[in-house]
Amino acid sequence: MASKNLKIDIKSGTISKEVATIIFDGELDAGSINKISACFDTIRKDGKKYVIIDMSKVSSVSSAALGELMGGRKLMIELGGDLVLAGMNLEVRTKLSLMGANKIFRFFNDLRTAVNAYKWEFQHQADAIKLSFPSNLKFVPPVRQLVSRIAKQKGYGNRDSFRIETIVDEVCNNAVEHGVQGSDDDIDMSINIDKDKIELNVINVSDPQKAAALKALLKTSMEKQLKIDDRRGRGLALIKMLSNKMSVDFSDKGTSVHVTKVREE
Amino acid sequence: MESQIELAYEDIKGRNNAKLIRFIGDLDATNVETVLEKVCNLFNDGFVHLIADFKKLRYVNSTGLGILLHFSKSAKEKGGSFKIANVNENVYEIIEIIGATSLLEIYDELEEAVAALD
Amino acid sequence: MDIRFPYKIHIQFPGDLDYIPPVRKFVSEMLQVSNFTPRFAYRSEIIVDEICNNAVNYGCVTNDAKVELVCEIKDDHVDFQIKDEGGSKEHIRRLRQAMHTEEDKKDDIHKRGLGLEIVKMLSEKIDLEIDSRNLTSIHVVRKREDIEREPKQ
Repeated sequence: MASKNLKIDIKSGTISKEVATIIFDGELDAGSINKISACFDTIRKDGKKYVIIDMSKVSSVSSAALGELMGGRKLMIELGGDLVLAGMNLEVRTKLSLMGANKIFRFFNDLRTAVNAYKWEFQHQADAIKLSFPSNLKFVPPVRQLVSRIAKQKGYGNRDSFRIETIVDEVCNNAVEHGVQGSDDDIDMSINIDKDKIELNVINVSDPQKAAALKALLKTSMEKQLKIDDRRGRGLALIKMLSNKMSVDFSDKGTSVHVTKVREE
Repeated sequence: MESQIELAYEDIKGRNNAKLIRFIGDLDATNVETVLEKVCNLFNDGFVHLIADFKKLRYVNSTGLGILLHFSKSAKEKGGSFKIANVNENVYEIIEIIGATSLLEIYDELEEAVAALD
Repeated sequence: MDIRFPYKIHIQFPGDLDYIPPVRKFVSEMLQVSNFTPRFAYRSEIIVDEICNNAVNYGCVTNDAKVELVCEIKDDHVDFQIKDEGGSKEHIRRLRQAMHTEEDKKDDIHKRGLGLEIVKMLSEKIDLEIDSRNLTSIHVVRKREDIEREPKQ
């Protein structure tokens, strides 16, 4: 039986000059090997070394075609890049796993995820998360766990995630304690995380007296060693020791704490 | 990166085509593919009768459920079976809501599942 | 410090499945500290998981797409609202269909939209709003079954 014609579409230049996206539409079988091979040749000649294959329109893959894909990947690896597969349906994915392809190729749910993984890894893409929650100490444990889990989910090690959790805990505790008692104000947190660092920004509406006390404490910390027997001093000292950069701004909007922690693991 | 899930394997006495898999953690959209690959490896190695111990499986969502149904189907196609034991109440409720209790072989105790292997 | 009801949680995160486990656990933990039962928190975790998965998988088209989850926690029920930038026409058609059809158990289970079905079964009310810019928002209400109150100090 003649194999269904395989349609191939190559897109490049949209993500970076070294990345090409290939969309396969049809069956990847023995009859399509030459086409696939020619496609990889074109890509190599164009100077691409990172290939994302969109497999969402692929209905089946034979072992011969898989061999060709492996050849393409080997080519990209030799050039210092990679070839990854995205968007397989359950049947194709199962078949590929049964053929052992999962031990060789990185698989992604869809094209968008594959592109974002490339950008995260090679273009230092940062993810932005925003969170608002009421100013209450009881909410701090879930909030610090959220940030710690996000860090872990994005590949940060246990030690780093733990330190981040502690930083968030101390910053949020401060934010709650400096808040105006009995108000309905929220604490606003924004997180920017990339492969190398996490940046935290926490804003709360402050009680003017408490903000003044914090200002004084910070001034003291600049001039001499923070007193560790003072609870607020301890908290600030901890944040400073665990992070790489910390600053506090006071404005009409409230007190804004910025912390940067560089990834160590 | 995925939600934490761990699979621990054990042999089943007297059955060289069966394997016990202990699931530990949460089964959701971020890790179904990894679990799929691991189970495919077992099928590949000739283990067509699989028993899943869910004692330490805290959480399953619809994507996780989908993959369990897929395992059940795949195992049957290979002349084997996919049995589940020790499902906690929360997970069972989700399986029940979807109407999948009749589509999956679920046993209260692990021993019952093992005994049911023909 | 007593928790005052109602209160709101807003989370905005990238359209990436990786964020869903931390977000769903966060919601579950916030509910538990707010004296909802662990059972309620678990079911809410499932709801958040399924609506977020839906938003990420089908409602995010551009590479930098974001999802916004708003949880309004009242002392006797919880309101979840998920907003995404709007998916394809096909996605919107499927969403509307999932909202309005009765489950047909004769349908091949592999073809059914299991996620939204679970959400429907676990909630009192579920609404879908799509605005002119294709911004989709799904609104889910879940009532508290029983209240565990802390002993008065």
